[in-house]
Amino acid sequence: MTAGDPVQPRRRVDRAGIVIAALLAGLAAVLVWDARGLQSTAMYGMGPEAMPVVIASGLALLAIGNFIEALRGNLPARESADPVPVVLILVGLALLIGIIGFGGGFILATSALFVTTSAAFGRRAIVVDSIIAIVMSTLIYLAFDRLLTLSLPTGPLERLL
Amino acid sequence: MDTFAALAHGMAVAVQPMNLLYALIGVFLGTAVGVLPGIGPALTVALLLPVTYKLDPGGSLIMFAGIYYGGMYGGSTTAILINTPGESASMATALEGNKMAKAGRGGPALATSAIGSFVAGTIATIGLAFLAPWLVDFAVRFGPEDYFALMCVAFVTVSATFGDSPIRGLTSLFIGLTLGLVGIDKLTGQARLAFGVPELLDGVEVTTLAVGLFALGEALYVASRRHHSEEKLEPVRGSLWMTKEDWKRSWKPWLRGTMFGFPIGALPAGGAEIPTFLSYSTEKRLTKYPEEFGKGAIEGVAGPEAANNASAAGTLVPLLTLGLPTSATAAMMLAGFQQYGLNPGPLLFAERPDLVWGLIASLFIANVMLLVLNLPLVGLWVRLLAIPQPWLYAGILVFATMGTIAAKPSIVELSMLAGFGVLGFLMRRFDFPIAPVVVGLILGPIAESQLRRALAISLGDPMTLLQSPISATLLALALIALLAPFVLKGMGRFKANED
Amino acid sequence: MINDVRMSLENALMFQFPARLFGAAVALTLVAATPSFAQQLELKLMAPAAPGGGWDQTARSMQQALVAAGVARSVQVTNVPGAGGSVGIAQFVNGAKGDGNQLMVNGFVMVGALAMNKSPVTLEQVTPIARLTEEIQVIVVPANSPIKTAQDLAAAVKADIAKVTFAGGSAGGVDHVMAALFAGAVGADAKKINYIPFSGGGESLAAILGAKVTAGISGLSEYDGQIKSGKLRAIGVTSEKRIPGSDIPTFKEQGIDLVIANWRSVVAPPGITPEQRKTLSDAVEKMVKSDAWKEILKQKGWEDAYLGGDDFADFLKKETVRVTDVLRSVGLVKS
Repeated sequence: MTAGDPVQPRRRVDRAGIVIAALLAGLAAVLVWDARGLQSTAMYGMGPEAMPVVIASGLALLAIGNFIEALRGNLPARESADPVPVVLILVGLALLIGIIGFGGGFILATSALFVTTSAAFGRRAIVVDSIIAIVMSTLIYLAFDRLLTLSLPTGPLERLL
Repeated sequence: MDTFAALAHGMAVAVQPMNLLYALIGVFLGTAVGVLPGIGPALTVALLLPVTYKLDPGGSLIMFAGIYYGGMYGGSTTAILINTPGESASMATALEGNKMAKAGRGGPALATSAIGSFVAGTIATIGLAFLAPWLVDFAVRFGPEDYFALMCVAFVTVSATFGDSPIRGLTSLFIGLTLGLVGIDKLTGQARLAFGVPELLDGVEVTTLAVGLFALGEALYVASRRHHSEEKLEPVRGSLWMTKEDWKRSWKPWLRGTMFGFPIGALPAGGAEIPTFLSYSTEKRLTKYPEEFGKGAIEGVAGPEAANNASAAGTLVPLLTLGLPTSATAAMMLAGFQQYGLNPGPLLFAERPDLVWGLIASLFIANVMLLVLNLPLVGLWVRLLAIPQPWLYAGILVFATMGTIAAKPSIVELSMLAGFGVLGFLMRRFDFPIAPVVVGLILGPIAESQLRRALAISLGDPMTLLQSPISATLLALALIALLAPFVLKGMGRFKANED
Repeated sequence: MINDVRMSLENALMFQFPARLFGAAVALTLVAATPSFAQQLELKLMAPAAPGGGWDQTARSMQQALVAAGVARSVQVTNVPGAGGSVGIAQFVNGAKGDGNQLMVNGFVMVGALAMNKSPVTLEQVTPIARLTEEIQVIVVPANSPIKTAQDLAAAVKADIAKVTFAGGSAGGVDHVMAALFAGAVGADAKKINYIPFSGGGESLAAILGAKVTAGISGLSEYDGQIKSGKLRAIGVTSEKRIPGSDIPTFKEQGIDLVIANWRSVVAPPGITPEQRKTLSDAVEKMVKSDAWKEILKQKGWEDAYLGGDDFADFLKKETVRVTDVLRSVGLVKS
């Protein structure tokens, strides 16, 4: 894209690009490894191992393509990223999964995600947000449970309802 | 003439005041539940049908049709507003629709989607009434080799979602194809890429992937860039309604989308996703404003939305004429009939024409109702975007995970959702297009199993792909679509040289 | 699959909403009649499938009938979907061990799924309670096919088994097992059957109507309309005796030993006491005999196939052996 563009002299090797290429190559290897464990039980036509091999070949070629692009530094420019909010949201998702996994119930789980995400986007009023989140998720829980008879994960709070 | 008389009779039933009320309740409930990602029209109908049980047959069918179409509308509303496709068929809508919403053009996007759905639904329902017997003959002739050829056409056109770099587009597509391999192989029952995790045996759910990549990935990305500039979302910039220009740019995509959606929807294994992709790429090719694609082109909303709704009407063709439920949604329709102890199929038109035409008439009514309900709501929906950013994104995340929690509350599924969110974030950060991943997940497994079915039937002879006239035609089309851009470029150069 | 969705809908239709009110009313009236029994049982019933599936719908029907018949005070249905029930049974066996208030719905498909997925948990670990329903299977051919009877199909299979293509549901499911059994019963090599799995009843029906395949296999009710309208020809059903009021011959009367049905049953966790087992068996038996259950069977067109106690335990064992053998013979299960 910007190859041969004299205005941009710093055309360096893009390290993230190299990592991406390596990941793609790794994925291709996993596919081939997994396909080797398959038995071609299909009596007629194509077996289940054919498609993974085709896709793995494609991935391998793309790994090479991405590698060359990265060497040439042909990746689009990136702006700096702030890791703090990203980590906060991921913590929220982890809390959600953990709370549901340990039987904490739907209301607590989604409230945790709501509060952390809200904090990630710059709010610091955790108490207010918690109240909003708990009211909202309680209403959602009731709607699912009572109107749709779909059982969402239950925990201590849900049993009180 | 019989058709007209029968339809008129069905209409007469449908426009009674009580029935209109049922239609209104139906579309309202349908829209309300349909907005939940992971809970598509099929489950919506399944969950809300008890409401219709207590009504008389006419009212019940009408409310039923309302719920069904309402569920479809709901899916596109969330796709446009918060980049969370409610079902896989709304994915193409999210591509341009959400960009429009961010640019303050959510109003026109929702409007063109509602009106487009109405236009497509109406035309397709007319098609259903008049063309069904003819179309179904054609549809049944489609064999596995023909479906594979259709997939080839779809794959060629997918490049429209690639963005500027073919390498990065293909990379995304192949990641999707890889995800499509996960789970039990449909033809031999063997597990692929499941690594001994039982939850992976059923494969990657399209909505889990789409919601993770689109909604979660987006939230993470926006959060990571907050320090650059406080991105202010203006809910409305310019007109809330469609301008004259919008109308001019929308009507052709509506019609073209219908042309894709209805016949492909009528194919027993056609589905709603392929016509929406075909429509998206066609509009991208034909548009006079190619520079707007990827930034919020109204054609990219109008076409796929029309295709989506037309295909829904299309699935009723094999259902009503053959008793062939070709999608989960069609199976729901079947259930609607079975409330009265009836099995749709070859005998139904002859035995109970009143019910068949009552249903068709109620589809028209539901369509009108949705338009009436949704257009005034556009203003309200768009205001949602005015919620302060922290709450907006927190709400979106709760909303996005809720569908998964309700449908498949397992730790593995939720972890996959979170994982796809991270993938979506990284892909945005390194400028890989998102849509091809979902496209690969949807098309890959279909293409593979249809090809393998075709080869099993032909005992491994690949010539079967060329011997079927339908397949040969479609493969030729795919080849032309693949080569045309290069040939045209070459001819252009040739001409330029001549001058 | 399609069938499942359809049935769940009916279930949703008929029961979910009225169930609470209705159930509460019935429970109230029944407290006086059978107080101790009704008050004791508070059951948890697992459907190892997503809401909407056939097992889910069986579970929710049981929920309604158990409460309506006054057998249980409350029944809570939980859904644990995944891999033909493999995920659900694992959770059931490990999580509900020794719990006399839990039940799980299962069926034919789970037998094959567990074998194919190399599940560490097997049906031998659960406590069998009762078989509840079954569906008869059918083989159909396109109306214009030269094959008229099961013997014609048998002759075609014997002549060149590769050229006879069977369309049906998922690999290792009841349709697939039946294709292999058919080949075996007519003296052909079951390993060589050319079985083409389709993802839904609709898709395989289209392939049969379009004469893309030689024959199709499915539950009888799914193709009933097409058979009656003459678009498909049924060449045989898998019941022991001819279905009353039907003119489709059985395979048995055509000299082919092929009897199979797609059954659904209910089981209890491992490690429960004989008393607990008796309580649950009695409760299910009482439910099966109730008017509420009979009404449900009629509404859904299910065949009553109640088989309780040790008879069912035997049946389950034999069926597991038979299915596993068939799946091994077609190469889906490695020995």
